[in-house]
Amino acid sequence: MSEFLRILEDEVQIVALAFMATVYTIRLIWMFRFKAGKEVTKPVGSPRVGVAYSMMNVAMPWAMESARKNLSFYVQFVIFHLGVLMAITATLILPYWPEFFESEPIVRIFQLFMGAAFAVGLIRLIRRITSPVMRLISTPDDYFSVALLTAWFAAGVFAMPNQYEVSEWPLILFFGMTTLFLIYVPFSKISHYLYYPFTRYFLGKTMGHRGVFPRKKGGEKPAGLE
Amino acid sequence: MSDKTINISDVVNLPLDLKEQKKALEQKSPAVVEGKVKVYDPNKDNVKNLLEMLKNKLSRQTVSSLVGCVHCGMCSDSCHYALARPHDPTMTPAYKADQIRQIFKRYIDWTGRIFPWWVHAKTPKNDEDLNRLKNIVFGTCSGCRRCTLNCPMGVDTAVLVRLTRGLLTELGIVPEGVFVVDKDSWETGNQMGVSQEDYIETLEWQEEEVQAELDDPSFKIPIDKEDCDFMYTVNPREIKYDPRSIAYACKIFHMAGESWTMPSFGWDQTNFGLFSGDDKLGGYIAKNLYEAAKRLRAKRIVISECGHGYRSSRWEGYNWAKYKQDIPSESVLITLIRYINQGLIKVDPSRNPLPITYHDSCNLARSGDLTEEPRWILERICTDFREMHPNRSDNFCCTGGGGALSMVEYKPLRIEVAKVKADQLKATGAKLVCTSCHNCVDGLSDLIKHYKLDMQVVQILDLVAEALVIPEKTEKK
Ligand code: HEM
Ligand code: SF4
Ligand code: SF4
Repeated sequence: MSEFLRILEDEVQIVALAFMATVYTIRLIWMFRFKAGKEVTKPVGSPRVGVAYSMMNVAMPWAMESARKNLSFYVQFVIFHLGVLMAITATLILPYWPEFFESEPIVRIFQLFMGAAFAVGLIRLIRRITSPVMRLISTPDDYFSVALLTAWFAAGVFAMPNQYEVSEWPLILFFGMTTLFLIYVPFSKISHYLYYPFTRYFLGKTMGHRGVFPRKKGGEKPAGLE
Repeated sequence: MSDKTINISDVVNLPLDLKEQKKALEQKSPAVVEGKVKVYDPNKDNVKNLLEMLKNKLSRQTVSSLVGCVHCGMCSDSCHYALARPHDPTMTPAYKADQIRQIFKRYIDWTGRIFPWWVHAKTPKNDEDLNRLKNIVFGTCSGCRRCTLNCPMGVDTAVLVRLTRGLLTELGIVPEGVFVVDKDSWETGNQMGVSQEDYIETLEWQEEEVQAELDDPSFKIPIDKEDCDFMYTVNPREIKYDPRSIAYACKIFHMAGESWTMPSFGWDQTNFGLFSGDDKLGGYIAKNLYEAAKRLRAKRIVISECGHGYRSSRWEGYNWAKYKQDIPSESVLITLIRYINQGLIKVDPSRNPLPITYHDSCNLARSGDLTEEPRWILERICTDFREMHPNRSDNFCCTGGGGALSMVEYKPLRIEVAKVKADQLKATGAKLVCTSCHNCVDGLSDLIKHYKLDMQVVQILDLVAEALVIPEKTEKK
């Protein structure tokens, strides 16, 4: 392995990660500087249960009509994010435990997830470009974010065999994009994972407090019977 | 069926109508003179003021919703505006929320301040832009929160729309109807400008009606009676247009042997602050109610049938007024359940034989906790109940929510998008649609008339009153 690739996989990633962590820390401080509205009413339900229900929403497609009625979109979401998970995991394992990728089945599993995520990314990009609704609400950041990730998945597929002795280019591309990604993400909508706990916490707290979450399906005991 | 589709630019470009504001200024309306209701001033830097206010009004909750949208578009199929107008992408909830999100990004968030074009961060240029913003947030959203519950990120678009409405209300850039109702609310303590005299007279009139019906001169609607079990609060629409519903409720309380009262002031459980986004007004109206209960040492506050009234009085009002809830408050539905369950009143479901469906008010089902309660009652007071689909917290808005009924300029669009609701109602095959909200009664009645549905709107209290078995000795002779 060339010194360039070694530094790119190791020190450069650490610096980029540290940069991201720093920006996120400042971002969190910024978020916490906005005062949180206080709830002073007597509860009907449990805010805690509401928060748990709300946080789990992402794993409960049946709980939300938009996912229930559009399961293919939900499946895309899962595939895409599993691809994200695998790609991030790969960036952490490759530099420090390269033997892990000596196993062909492991390489294939990673490639499968990233390949599928790449396909979803393409579908999402096409949807964003062709649907008038999506075009209207999309910003350059939205296009770039999904395009960047899609390209990153493609790079990941080629980088996974970790055969730097054959050619270093797939790995240089993959880690180069990871660097760009880590620096760009804190300023883009991709940071939604940082906000997800916030939005979901607040919605869950309010809705749990009021007894709206967990959502009722019928058969629950009405108030007034005690 | 809806005959034509509205050209959305006709709605978005509706001019700011200032007739009522001018009139109020000429008449030196106290709410205007005291600065409680703002009038539009073209000489002020309204854009700058809006930005300043936005900064001050942001909470961690609203900031999360502003930064949290991933523009995935999943909310578009949840909004009745978007569903009824598939050809019109501006009906997408995220687009509506983006109107304030863009401003937030330009002035408060990070990336948009440096690279505005990259995230579509934008600033309103002038008052015309603010007027367009007004038409979007007041005219194309009923604040029903259906998109909120369908957003995978948990972004509360309805709250962002309300936040924007609140900013515009502070600048007097509001639809005429909103201005008038806000003013009336501040000046009379109720949103329909009902005078104290009219209120008391209506209660006395209803008292006489019930006395005659029960042939019981001892029946009273007690006003300002202290130390009762509960204080009953109503919607001014009941005083003005539907006093029967007060008579029904009072008759039932009487039959159940209840100790109750109605306040002479602080009786309006509705709250236009929810719609205009004015937390100060919201807090003022709600506090009137809480203080009335305190003054009368009532043990509970009972809220008559009204979705937004229940949401405001039971939930938001305490927070707006920063008033720690000291006594319980409940919907009259809970009171009715208690009576039926404890056998304090007898009901005969065979008196309501027509097929009935139930419309969940958004504010009761999505912003409140009442979905099973009305159904429990309906199962006991009618013989042919049919569920509407979707229902409970997935139900569609009556299309008259968010104060839409007071904004006549947007009525054609409201009626067009009501097609979604009309289809939903029609599919039930019911002859009666029951709801537990006076606002929904009007919203549904409008669309039933327009779409020529063979259906009537009723409320739970109407049906309970119909099913009520009056014991022999008090039955009308
Ligand atoms: C806690 C972790 C995360 C949660 C809860 C989450 C949740 C979501 C949700 C709910 C959506 C909208 C639905 C959809 O478009 O399919 C979404 C979209 C997206 N997510 Fe995540 N996400 C997480 C982590 C990540 C990470 C780590 C990345 C990338 C590094 C990422 C990249 C994206 C992108 C690019 C989209 C937009 C897809 C499009 O434009 O169509 N997410 N995410
Ligand atoms: S509001 Fe929610 S559902 Fe709608 S586009 Fe934004 S993240 Fe997606
Ligand atoms: S709150 Fe209701 S009306 Fe408003 S955008 Fe969301 S779904 Fe549409």
